Amino acid sequence: MSIGQGNSGGAQLGGIKVVTTSNEGLSVDYWTDRLLERIVYVAEDSDSVIKEQALAFKAQIRAVIFTYITHAIKSDRTTLHGLLLQKGEPQLADIIRRLN
Amino acid sequence: MAWTGDFLCDTFKREILVALHDFTITTGSVFKMALYDNTPSFTAATTGYTVTGELPAAGNYVTGGETLTNVTPTLDTGVAIIDFPDLVWGTATFTAYGGMIYNSTAGTESVCILDFSGAKTATAGDFTVQFPAYVAATAIIRIA
Repeated sequence: MSIGQGNSGGAQLGGIKVVTTSNEGLSVDYWTDRLLERIVYVAEDSDSVIKEQALAFKAQIRAVIFTYITHAIKSDRTTLHGLLLQKGEPQLADIIRRLN
Repeated sequence: MAWTGDFLCDTFKREILVALHDFTITTGSVFKMALYDNTPSFTAATTGYTVTGELPAAGNYVTGGETLTNVTPTLDTGVAIIDFPDLVWGTATFTAYGGMIYNSTAGTESVCILDFSGAKTATAGDFTVQFPAYVAATAIIRIA
């Protein structure tokens, strides 16, 4: 889309990536890294000082994000455990409990 | 018939100028991504969602696709950019060759066609579509 004289540009589409798994879900590490990429994007051509600070921040919060995602999964398994018990499935509930 | 690449639909470019598509978070249009097998021949001339070639409702895929989460568009170095968080079909068992993002609020007008570059298969696993970094150089939709 060009407006006015001398402007260049247009409407462009970015590239996506598809990731699949078999008989398991994606790991906490994977989701931690994806979330980090969304929160802190560091361009290769960034100023070196800014880049260094951004990468340091990224490394610091990675462990925090990993922990909270793990907590969310544990909480969801707790919910599943409770639901299975309510539905009269104690053996299935115990399988879920052991995952935690 | 086969996938021939990614396309930003021509009609989408006109429709944003008549305010048909609203990417505002929570209050904007509802955008979805439908997944397709290897039979469609989508191009930039594609105008809307179609069930032809769409994956059947099986293996945790629901016809019509998954709803995307809007991120209110912003400007990055003079480029208007649009973003969505990654999309996941959990406990999925299906094979898809590509997807279509469409506006399910405005009558199913298509936004873009995304070619997966071949068969992508999940078997009782996650089927995840990763969106690119939300910056001027790479965002999923960019208007310069």
